[in-house]
Amino acid sequence: MPGIGYEGTYRVRETLVEAHRIAWRRIAEPGAWLDGARRVAVAAEVRAAEDCALDRERKAALSPFAVEGEHEATDLLSAAEVELVHRLTTDPGRLSRAWTEGLLAAGVSEEVYVEIVSIVCIVMVIDTFRRSLDLAPFDLPEPVAGAPTGYRAPGARRHDAWISLVQPEDVVESDGDLYGPTASPVVKALSLVPQAKRDYWDLAEVHYLPGSEMTDFATDVRAIDRMQMELVAGRVSALHQCVY
Amino acid sequence: MLRASTEVSGAEFDLNAVTGAATGDGGIEGGTLLHAFAEAVTLRDTARTAELRDALVEALGEPAMIDAAAIAAAFHGFVRLADATGTPPAGAAGGQVTMEFRESLGINEFYGARNG
Repeated sequence: MPGIGYEGTYRVRETLVEAHRIAWRRIAEPGAWLDGARRVAVAAEVRAAEDCALDRERKAALSPFAVEGEHEATDLLSAAEVELVHRLTTDPGRLSRAWTEGLLAAGVSEEVYVEIVSIVCIVMVIDTFRRSLDLAPFDLPEPVAGAPTGYRAPGARRHDAWISLVQPEDVVESDGDLYGPTASPVVKALSLVPQAKRDYWDLAEVHYLPGSEMTDFATDVRAIDRMQMELVAGRVSALHQCVY
Repeated sequence: MLRASTEVSGAEFDLNAVTGAATGDGGIEGGTLLHAFAEAVTLRDTARTAELRDALVEALGEPAMIDAAAIAAAFHGFVRLADATGTPPAGAAGGQVTMEFRESLGINEFYGARNG
């Protein structure tokens, strides 16, 4: 795949390089609810959001709802889908249940919502990593033709999150590898669309920690110890005003 | 997670540092640099990020700087995942995040805690 590589000043561990290659290729392929062209369009909107005047104005406002204006639809994404991508990219700490319900009422299905969230998060992780090393963002991939699978986890229900998810006891064989008998809330968040969940977590675990290591605070698997890792994680989360 | 890891290690660390309410490395090797690096990356301060990259490589080594960058980037995804889906904080960090703990760190003052 052209434009994907880490030749440069720093030696990036190979597991990260490989995870980025896989994640970038997956963005271009048909997903569960979006085809490759729509998935790449989501990735493009993540980057477009950074130069969006409406997003900047909302971000600067005391309340994002105090600013009038709406995003416009593109050839491949509805106005509501563009709103989801832009707000999630630029102002994630001020989303609300009412805002999410507004997007669902505007025609974004729960399944499409989850798949878009997964893609936005993947692009944010990879673009942020490259920016932090003073590397240019990867070129967007060329979409791969094909139809989405249309798979929704049959055991997904509304619980206490804003979007339906699958509890461990409701996982069925057709969901594929989702999680074991227990899972933290954030691990379950994208489970409505198992492939979207896997796409995100396959990348996230290489960046942070494999699921099996997350509650093992005594073993260090990275080049910084667990306290150092959690200090970085905590500061990033606090700056985003993340309540999780 | 930071609280749990400090408990396991036996180190003492002022958790208010993550919200900016306290400063210093608190006994974490390279803590001041890592804190500043996470902040510079999140605020997209290119010059400061470059300066801190060099400082981290000097202090902790290049693999440590790479992993600090990887974790900072990862949490640009985790926060969006949690925020977009309204993932409830109950049960986070193995259920160790109590309302009292959140209150003590000022997390309950965040927009999402008041308006989610």
